[in-house]
Amino acid sequence: MLGSLDTSKNTTHHENKQQLIYQATADILPLAIAVIPWGILCGSLAIQIGLSPIQAQLMSLLVFAGAAQLASLTLMGGAGALSSIFSSTFVISSRHLLYSAVFREHVQQSSFATRCCTAFFLTDEMFAVTCAYLEKYKSFSHLYAISAGITFYLVWNAATFIGITAGQFIPNIESLGLEFAIAATFIAIVIPAINSFSILMSVLASGISVLILSLMNNEHALIIATFIGMASGFFTASKDEEHE
Amino acid sequence: MNNYWLTLLGMTCITFTCRYLFFAKKLPFTLGVKTKRALAYTAPSVLTAMWVPIVFLSYQQIEKSFLDSPFLIAGLITIALSLKLKSTLSVVIISIAVFVALQLIYH
Repeated sequence: MLGSLDTSKNTTHHENKQQLIYQATADILPLAIAVIPWGILCGSLAIQIGLSPIQAQLMSLLVFAGAAQLASLTLMGGAGALSSIFSSTFVISSRHLLYSAVFREHVQQSSFATRCCTAFFLTDEMFAVTCAYLEKYKSFSHLYAISAGITFYLVWNAATFIGITAGQFIPNIESLGLEFAIAATFIAIVIPAINSFSILMSVLASGISVLILSLMNNEHALIIATFIGMASGFFTASKDEEHE
Repeated sequence: MNNYWLTLLGMTCITFTCRYLFFAKKLPFTLGVKTKRALAYTAPSVLTAMWVPIVFLSYQQIEKSFLDSPFLIAGLITIALSLKLKSTLSVVIISIAVFVALQLIYH
């Protein structure tokens, strides 16, 4: 049960599909658990704002993007224009363009249905565990990616459902600081993944620039800081000691 | 409000397009070696750009001083834990517990 992103204990290749599905589920489970508070928040906020329970659940079923859902719900609550909701959704989701570019070479030859399925379930967490798998086994597995994605999807939607049905009984749910769970998950993914000088540089550069940009109230802080981080990693790669 | 249906539809299209775009066979380009090398830094860069503001800037929303913020203290503890512990699940659960405890103490 203690699925860890560090899969170094398993050295044998997977003989059967069940094992692969099990591994994907175990790897993403800690990340899925950490997203539960956020799902509850999304569900209960949607109801507070005036979405019907069906709309609130459909948001998680169809949009399936925590950060974008939360931001748009906040805008909808403040009667924000449709255009501002859509542009914030795009800005927040634009990081998925990068994920999709990273997987492009592995996914391109697959059937339309498989590509759609992989794309639909592509979240930060699914991307992180699939990248770890890719690095470990040097091969991309659709079954692994989609299994991890579906596990995450089920937990996310169950959490949303709890928020929809029980959110009204939790006082001041917005002020509980539920977003900390997300920060904790991402820290738990990123810090152990720093195994070279260039990755360290990309993390530092991205972190420092997002702080500066956020303090300047730049609405594109996330994506600009990401590019600065990626560039820093790229340009310091020559300083890495030989590994791999 | 019927606008909510339109919002849902639009958001679904936007998020799916962002996830699918580079999977499209019709997109006529292949990624160069340099682009691929830069893309290798995607996960650490994006995820860091997401957790850093939560840990270091949330104090602005809760009327606490920077050093008193449970987000900061629990965030730093999470970093320390993730260096020590192998299991992601343990890191996540312990750090959330620490954060909840801090929230209760400070309230």
